[in-house]
Amino acid sequence: MSATALTAPPRRPDGLTLLVLPALAFLGVVFLLPLLLLLWSSIRGPGGFSLNGYARVLGDAYYLQVMLQSLQLGLITTGGALLLGYPAAFALARARGYAQVVLFALIFLPLTVSIIVKSFGWGIVLRRDGILNWAMENLGLIERPVRMIFTEGALYAGMINVFLPFMVLPIFSVVRMMDTRLPDAAATLGASPWFRFTRVTLPLSLPGVVAGVSITFSLAVSAYVTPSLLMGDRFMTMSMVMAKAFLNLRDWQLGAAMATVLLAVAITVVVGAAWLQKRLATPRGS
Amino acid sequence: MRDGGVSVGVGAAGHLAVSGATKRFGAALVLDDLSIAVAKGEFVSLLGPSGCGKTTLLRCVAGLLRPDAGRILVGGADITTLPAHRRNVGVVFQNYALFPHLTVAENIGFGLRAQGVAKREAAPRIAEALRLVRMEAHADKAITALSGGQQQRVAVARALVVRPSLLLLDEPFSALDRKLRETMQVELKQLLREVGITAIFVTHDQEEALVVSDRIAVMNAGRIEQLADPAALYGRPSSLYVLDFVGQSTRLSGRVVETASNEIAIDTALGRIWAPGSFLRGSPVIVAVRPEAVTLGSAQDGAANHITARVAEISFLGSRTQLHLDLVEPDRGVVELPRLPDGIAPGASVPLSFRVADAMVFPAP
Ligand SMILES: Nc1ncnc2c1ncn2[C@@H]1O[C@H](COP(=O)(O)OP(=O)(O)OP(=O)(O)O)[C@@H](O)[C@H]1O
Ligand SMILES: [Mg+2]
Repeated sequence: MSATALTAPPRRPDGLTLLVLPALAFLGVVFLLPLLLLLWSSIRGPGGFSLNGYARVLGDAYYLQVMLQSLQLGLITTGGALLLGYPAAFALARARGYAQVVLFALIFLPLTVSIIVKSFGWGIVLRRDGILNWAMENLGLIERPVRMIFTEGALYAGMINVFLPFMVLPIFSVVRMMDTRLPDAAATLGASPWFRFTRVTLPLSLPGVVAGVSITFSLAVSAYVTPSLLMGDRFMTMSMVMAKAFLNLRDWQLGAAMATVLLAVAITVVVGAAWLQKRLATPRGS
Repeated sequence: MRDGGVSVGVGAAGHLAVSGATKRFGAALVLDDLSIAVAKGEFVSLLGPSGCGKTTLLRCVAGLLRPDAGRILVGGADITTLPAHRRNVGVVFQNYALFPHLTVAENIGFGLRAQGVAKREAAPRIAEALRLVRMEAHADKAITALSGGQQQRVAVARALVVRPSLLLLDEPFSALDRKLRETMQVELKQLLREVGITAIFVTHDQEEALVVSDRIAVMNAGRIEQLADPAALYGRPSSLYVLDFVGQSTRLSGRVVETASNEIAIDTALGRIWAPGSFLRGSPVIVAVRPEAVTLGSAQDGAANHITARVAEISFLGSRTQLHLDLVEPDRGVVELPRLPDGIAPGASVPLSFRVADAMVFPAP
């Protein structure tokens, strides 16, 4: 170990570093620069430096409520997507031939449909005189139409629909690579199906789950389009407040402060996930 | 006559008895009405070419696959429909299938935990298993930090620690280099004897099968061609398939021209050969003789068969030398001599002789 360190040549940019440079340059211009400007805006009041934006975002009951709502939206969407997506990812990974193609299409086709089209579709289904009410009424499940559109239930359903593929894909890619003989080996050692799942399959699929959860949560907590289309002003998320501050109120400091808080949440999740990934990837023992 | 023939003493003394196992994958018939019986404490090899259904048979016995038809009994109990985790049949998988997220000791202890064995009892059993495979020093290592041979040992220990009634090993040495392989073969044989377990061992390497097993089952296209001890399998193969699969031989096609009591004479490309057996006069047959049963010269006592053949090639193998005979397909000939006498070179004609009892006759395919 130390011997190789002694004889190792001085570090020079190798091929890999060169390969990643274009991407880094691109991100620097379109991401890092605006980000710095954003941070700058968040601490610049009308009369120079001020933390007024943060004071308002973190001190005002209304904005706190918005943040809690966003977190709740993120958590429920992520939980729902995990509940539906985990078994779906397994089905997808284990399916063969046509079954796999059809399952793939079912799960990923929604990604290709514009959110506008989708919300229009949800409207048709969920309206007071929509398909769902019509069906439930005719089946005798309800006596009069239920209000579904513009309810939180509809919002969560819509969010899960939109973000499900982001949960399924990382879990699927991990499960697909999993050696199916491992649960078999566990079975021959006397492990019940439940023991096999909790001690072999689940731990081995965790890297996919962590990736799926962090992606889905980051996207859902900062969602803008889906909640606006499905709820309008009835359910304000952090992104919607930001948009309002920037576009309607022209209150750049407020918008930038909110954006920074949202960014902090997202970074926490992503860094936490990366750390977990690394821990999961390191085999136990020495 | 051939006590080395297919023995399917099903339901009899067999500790493991598979009877009439049939398995199809789509149109492919992978197990074809297969039967085999293995006695308690016996070490049986399943030998066969790639794709003949060895792994499929093991998976059926382990309960990882349900045969379409047939029954599987262990210790007299019918386990055909029992799920794998209730069978207590241990498996050492091809490439081991060790749990990558667990340490060596945790891998070995997995079965004990799964079966709810208390920690107090499990710890000494894990230690004992580690000692048995000489891995005490590596208990807390990650699986990925082990060499191939060490992984193989862990896989064996993991399977044995739960005291299975039967151990199945699917090509446990296929990932090891030749040298290590030979060491591990002897080691495994000793270990399994020490434990006294009944074991079935899959391989497509005939030398490995000859080295490690009490009996060898030669498989062909989903069936057992012959189940016999190594000497019987080599000396009295029940079919051309087994003859060719295990060891080398000189094979001459010919026709039966004379029949006496228990002996027949066959006319071949190399002349008339006498062999034991009873075939109708005129039957097309193949007569075969193992390389070491043939001697140079015509003076051997009791060697009633004398032929002369041209040498095509000579291979020096260290402790012995092989002469490949110049014959026209499908005939072929190989003779093994302890030492090569002077004056024999490719192209030379040599007199050869062998005993009638060493000649084997099979109906021509
Ligand atoms: N799950 C499966 N689905 C479809 N076909 C299968 C399946 N498992 C095995 N087969 C087919 O059955 C045949 C026998 O397979 P098996 O794995 O039992 O062979 P094997 O004797 O173990 O060969 P090898 O020495 O290469 O391991 C092969 O042709 C294989 O393609
Ligand atoms: Mg196999």
